[in-house]
Amino acid sequence: MSSGEGKEGKPKKVEPEDLLEMQKELNAGYISLEDLRRAGNLPPDEIVEKGIPVPVFDCLENIPCTPCHDVCPTGAVVMETMNDKPKVIWEKCTGCTLCAQACPGLAITIVYPKFGEKRLKGKRPDAEKLWLVSIPYEMLPIPKKGEKVKVYDRGHRYLCDGEVYTVIKSPRFGTVLVNVLVPGECAFEAKYVEVMRDEQ
Amino acid sequence: MDRRIYEHPVLKFDRGRRVRIIFEGREIPAYENETIAAALYAAGIVHFNYSGRLKRPRGPFCMIGKCSQCMMRVNGIPHVRTCITLVEDGMVVEREDVHDAELPTPTKKMKVEYVTKDYDIVVVGAGPAGLSAAMQAAKLGAKVALLDQNPFLGGQLIKQTHKFFGTKDSYAGTRGVEIAKMLVDEIKDYENVDIYPSAQAIGYYRREGVLVAFQSRRLAEYRVLKLRGKRYVVATGAMERSLVFPGNDLPGVMGAGAAQTLMNVFGIRPADEVLIIGAGNVGVIIAYQAAQAGIKVKAVIDILPKTAAYLVHASKIRRMGIPVLMRHTIREAYGKGKVEGAVIYEVDEKFRPVPGSEKDLAVDGVWMAVGLTPSVELLELMGAKIKFVRELGGYVPLRTQYLETTLDGVYVAGDATGIEEASTAMMEGKIAGISAAFSLGYKADWAEKERAHAMKWLDEFRSSPHYARIKEGVQKVLIQK
Repeated sequence: MSSGEGKEGKPKKVEPEDLLEMQKELNAGYISLEDLRRAGNLPPDEIVEKGIPVPVFDCLENIPCTPCHDVCPTGAVVMETMNDKPKVIWEKCTGCTLCAQACPGLAITIVYPKFGEKRLKGKRPDAEKLWLVSIPYEMLPIPKKGEKVKVYDRGHRYLCDGEVYTVIKSPRFGTVLVNVLVPGECAFEAKYVEVMRDEQ
Repeated sequence: MDRRIYEHPVLKFDRGRRVRIIFEGREIPAYENETIAAALYAAGIVHFNYSGRLKRPRGPFCMIGKCSQCMMRVNGIPHVRTCITLVEDGMVVEREDVHDAELPTPTKKMKVEYVTKDYDIVVVGAGPAGLSAAMQAAKLGAKVALLDQNPFLGGQLIKQTHKFFGTKDSYAGTRGVEIAKMLVDEIKDYENVDIYPSAQAIGYYRREGVLVAFQSRRLAEYRVLKLRGKRYVVATGAMERSLVFPGNDLPGVMGAGAAQTLMNVFGIRPADEVLIIGAGNVGVIIAYQAAQAGIKVKAVIDILPKTAAYLVHASKIRRMGIPVLMRHTIREAYGKGKVEGAVIYEVDEKFRPVPGSEKDLAVDGVWMAVGLTPSVELLELMGAKIKFVRELGGYVPLRTQYLETTLDGVYVAGDATGIEEASTAMMEGKIAGISAAFSLGYKADWAEKERAHAMKWLDEFRSSPHYARIKEGVQKVLIQK
């Protein structure tokens, strides 16, 4: 039982923003880019250089779960037993996003390196530095095409502003994929977006 | 006040026709697919009755017909469990003093009917385990009765909005609500299955081999079901645990599953700002679902140093900026008539309070996701041998690999065998249903294969480091016959 510590004086009123500071990073669901790199879940530089789509799996535990493997049409997600962690064969990925739509953990984002350089050149001045990231999203309001969004990392730290390129609602899995244009340096860190719209 | 959710990122709510109920003289709008408790919550009424001795205000804790904290007087009938009783137009609902309820005056409207029927297999509980058991047995040709105390079939699947983990065979990638719909639609196609919703098993008479259940689909209309099964499958699920702290009985303090029922089954926001206790899978999933329902989650706390949740579930809410505080627990919930705030504090490695670490959160909901306990009351009543197994969440029945308990012909499946997952419940349901039918002489090659596959699947599922404890626990209750 409590010996009465902390009873003197009233406990201070706090809001979630105050509590965010106190989270012990690693033991409560936070994944760092370094964790992913160590686990081999980030693509090597030469793959990124090629500018092919790369899925980033925030999936570091042996849990019984296989949808990403089951839906992949090209065999790019390898898994022997249901408890294996998914392994990506980078060259085989076509960026179809089915795995990101299916993942129950919403753990997969797909990065399209050099997207702007390849697809938007001449269409906008900042094309060269823009990459595309596909982010699974299940909150309201759903971002709209062309809208500005705030882009956050895995610990909800603000990274940059992004622009919604397209929004796709998965007919099969119901999850929305928000495709966001972000400066290339943010692409692998981007994991969450928030609409800046003032509603009501 | 209308606390209903009209726009949701993944759900659509079918509320049915609009009706009205009278709560203490006040007219309240309701919909025919809502329970009384849901309609009251939608109107912002959280105080349902008074405790017996101290007359403290009380409100529902479980929302699935297990805890009795939702009891009220309806049309003069005391002790109506409002969380599993559907509204009817013009119903008169009053708070009651649970220790001072009057005997209702029988009216002409009150109807009692007696039904006696024989079945090959009686399945108690129509969640993922019971539905799967009934389906497999029916496929094999057995005559099956399937009963559930809730008005809706599907058990807790009907409030699971997240896509399921697992494999293709366990509907991975599909949301629980959709799995429920598929299973329920399918079972209705079998002519050899009689379904009894809103029917609670209340007794078992061993000498006659008869299960007695009390069915009430409408208020004051009762059917006493005397069902004689040659075999039984008990799939009674589990009940949410509570924690002991001052104010834990305040209306607004409830099980996380109860909040989930309100949000995802009925589309009602039980609160605007909440504290969630427990950062295991249930706690973090509910935090996510609360955000989907437009509720602000002020914090998810857990006394353990490390979350037991899947990393992918926990990281979903971390990236959204919902604070997850480990080594924290609740000191008290406070408020007048309902919860208005909660004080939390940090503990050290020996779980002692850290001085000066108390923090006060203004919340109108405190939701507990602190584990579940298997519901084995019926099995106990029937005479099955049970044993306390910590790894499985409490008292669970001894059983064979085919899930037959110490009682011949009585099988068990789902969370009643130990707290696990909906996907494992479906596999266990298959094993129990097929085994019960086999023992009656029904045979089929596909069923042999299906059962073998389910057993292999379970074994593989439990090989995940996340479920090592379950595997150990199951060993402790496995018997040979």
